[in-house]
Amino acid sequence: MKRDDSEPRQLLALADGLLSRADPATAGLWPRASALLALGALEASVLRLWQGRAPDLQGCSMRTQLICLRSYLGDAKLAARTGLAWSALSRACRHHAYELGPTAGELRSWFSVIGELVQKVEAS
Amino acid sequence: MDPGIRSLVLSRLEADAPAAGPWSDLVLAALEGQGALETELLGGAKAPHAEAPRTAPALAGAFLRQVKVEGFRGIGPLQTLELRPGPGLTLVVGRNGSGKSSFAEGLEVLLTGDSLRWKERAAVWREGWRNLHHPAASLSGTFLVEGERGACVVSRQWETGAAFEAGAASAQLHDKPSSDLASLGWTAALRTHRPFLSYNELGSLLDEGPSKLYDALSSILGLEDLVEALAALQEARRSREKATKDATDARGPLLERLRGVADARALQVAAAIEGKEWDLGTVDGALGGVASSGAGAPDADVLRGIASLEPPDPAQVKAAVAEMRQAADALRSAQETAASRSRDAAALLESALLYHATHGDGDCPVCGGKAALNSAWSKRQREVARRLREAAREADAVHQRAEAARRQWEGLAPLKPEAFTRAVDLGLDLGELVEALGTWVKAGSISDLGALAEHVESASGPLREAVVRLRDSARAELGRKEDAWRPVAVEVAAWLKGAREAERGASDLKRLKSAEAWFKKAAAGIRDDRFAPIAEKSAAIWEHLRQQSHVELGRIQLTGEGTRRRVALDVTVDGVEGAALGVMSQGELHSLALSLFVPRATLPESPFRFIVIDDPVQSMDPSRVDGLARVLETASADRQVVVFTHDDRLPEAVRRLDIAAEIVEVTRRDASVVELRRALDPVGRYLEDALAVAGTADLPSSAAARVVPGLCRLALEAACMEVVRRRRLSRGEPNGEVEQALGQAERLLQLMAMALFDDVGRSADVLARVKREAGAPLAEALKQCDETASPAAADALELARQSSKLAAWLRGLA
Repeated sequence: MKRDDSEPRQLLALADGLLSRADPATAGLWPRASALLALGALEASVLRLWQGRAPDLQGCSMRTQLICLRSYLGDAKLAARTGLAWSALSRACRHHAYELGPTAGELRSWFSVIGELVQKVEAS
Repeated sequence: MDPGIRSLVLSRLEADAPAAGPWSDLVLAALEGQGALETELLGGAKAPHAEAPRTAPALAGAFLRQVKVEGFRGIGPLQTLELRPGPGLTLVVGRNGSGKSSFAEGLEVLLTGDSLRWKERAAVWREGWRNLHHPAASLSGTFLVEGERGACVVSRQWETGAAFEAGAASAQLHDKPSSDLASLGWTAALRTHRPFLSYNELGSLLDEGPSKLYDALSSILGLEDLVEALAALQEARRSREKATKDATDARGPLLERLRGVADARALQVAAAIEGKEWDLGTVDGALGGVASSGAGAPDADVLRGIASLEPPDPAQVKAAVAEMRQAADALRSAQETAASRSRDAAALLESALLYHATHGDGDCPVCGGKAALNSAWSKRQREVARRLREAAREADAVHQRAEAARRQWEGLAPLKPEAFTRAVDLGLDLGELVEALGTWVKAGSISDLGALAEHVESASGPLREAVVRLRDSARAELGRKEDAWRPVAVEVAAWLKGAREAERGASDLKRLKSAEAWFKKAAAGIRDDRFAPIAEKSAAIWEHLRQQSHVELGRIQLTGEGTRRRVALDVTVDGVEGAALGVMSQGELHSLALSLFVPRATLPESPFRFIVIDDPVQSMDPSRVDGLARVLETASADRQVVVFTHDDRLPEAVRRLDIAAEIVEVTRRDASVVELRRALDPVGRYLEDALAVAGTADLPSSAAARVVPGLCRLALEAACMEVVRRRRLSRGEPNGEVEQALGQAERLLQLMAMALFDDVGRSADVLARVKREAGAPLAEALKQCDETASPAAADALELARQSSKLAAWLRGLA
């Protein structure tokens, strides 16, 4: 499976820009769009971790990768929060009956987790 | 005062005219409020009731075109909710906190100046009305009114930092000058036909017991005026009953107190109030001192009489005694002179002359001389007598002086015996006086002037002392009685005030009771009349909303009043009578609230052609949402129905049931920037978003390439769900089971398998069938969308276009 390795920091900045900057062009569509970008940032950041430490994991399912994150990241709490953010974001990126897009507040809290993750991965 | 309610009461009064009494004025006054009722009871100036507030007729048939909100609650910069004026259904959809409710609240505050959902809450809730991110605050609504050529704009504005209550409202009807809100004539209708409903408003009230529910429903009926008028009557009656009770209760202790005071006034007051009927005039008299000179207060009079006694004046006594002694001396010396002899001789001669004048000539009766008495004798002797009398005059003067001196003792002590008659009863010691007086009056039987002088001289001293002593003790007694009375008098005065009030109240009480009794019946009648059509429609709506509920709703009635007021609901559970609200779930209670709200807000007499419902779907299970959608559809046939909702259940039901509706989405960015947009169905919306992102120049192409596949996948998922739902529901499968089945599909290809093969397990066959039936490019697009990690698309715009085609193909399948 082809894996993306876009710059995680850049993706997160784009997601944050969509959320923060009022723009008629993105009115109403930004909740899902920035969720998609943030999910990309999260997954790309995790991939980047494997590149240096355990390339084999790159091909595994995201669920497996997230479980392994606990032992590789060196911060069990951040790993757990990353797992939560991932499942919330991927839920927001799927169509579910009766559910509306995520709110700005929800997105902010996920962004901050991803921000920490990106920093941690870059430092390691 | 709602003129509608007023005229209802008036017509009932007229219908009852034969039975109506002098209390009917009280009923009318009570409708104007407590103050007017008291004025009426005082017989005060009669307000011209019938001519009272006849404001301009309400602007009727109003539809909403626009709601503008700025700096209010969740909304920062000015945002406009555009609505399609005219009958129809509009759904405003947004997550909690998106700002959608701010529109609903804003409209309510705009028109009513308040919001029911804040009324019961803590001050901090109300203080949060201003948006923190935006200092300017204003609300405005544009209405189209049937029969009016232009729009009517109502607005409410706040100065920076102004309090919530300080918002100034104005209304402007197209070309006419701006006026105040009341000029629209909507004030009463906003209460009677409240076109707003938020769920925490009725939902919470339904939990709070039968009387709260009654209040909630009777406020729905717009009968607060009746309730208030009845309360005014009851309050007036109670205050009068209390006055009587207070006066009666206070009477016992007061009587006891009065009887303990040795004062005629106290006894007089006690006598006046000890019976069943109180003689308050006498009480007043006793207090004012008017009665002290009347027959009713003899004790005080007697005391006062004795207190004013004058004892013999020693100087006078001395002078009188001296005169008596001098006169006695003069008398004694005169007896020894010729004058005295002449006086006696003259008296003898005058007697003889009188004898001759009476009996005529004859013998002398003294010496027996024959024919001694004749005319010549008479003539001679008359002259003699005259001369003798002349000579005796000096002696006469002495005698007269003596007589005058004798009488002087009587004037020295002018004591009226009646002054003493009741003195003994009053506890005064009269012994000394009686004794002194007994001695004193012996003067009357002393003929010798010298002895009299002696007597007066010796007896006047003890008499004087006795009188002074008696007088002083009477004065002391009098003072004592005043001292005892004064504090009681203060109590009596206080009681009298209350008793007068009670007396006045007693005459009002009869009228008040009659008015209250009549009014209770009339209010119940009006209530039932007004509730009947609502109850009927409510039952019909409940039938829609109950869906699989086992609760069957029969008659709904408002009964009782005061503390026993309650809502009687004929509820049966599976055919067995149940304990009304106790058996209903939260969702069912909400449905009941809605069942009651919609009929009332859509009554033909309401000037509003719109109703605004905030979040009716909360705690409703999905099957009931379908019923709600049907209810809203029915209402929107002749009303503009605007519904705010926090999730997609209602819009989904509306789409699935093919109900004509406009859907507006609300999203809120940071800093309270709220955005609105017309929503298509989810499939159309996702595809539109995908095309917008792919085509927008603002977004870096790398971002677009990453976002577009995700949005396309969302669109395809939604399309699959739509297909599956439509197919399975039309087969009669319960909604819950369909949703459960959809929940099993985790990936796009699984959903596709359900849509294409009605089998979640056949995802492996999906791509082949799409390629075969829809073509290779669409199969390729599907593959791109299915990549779980949403890789960047090589050509985002192309992917969005192919996905649109694929979605259309999918939807054409079922």
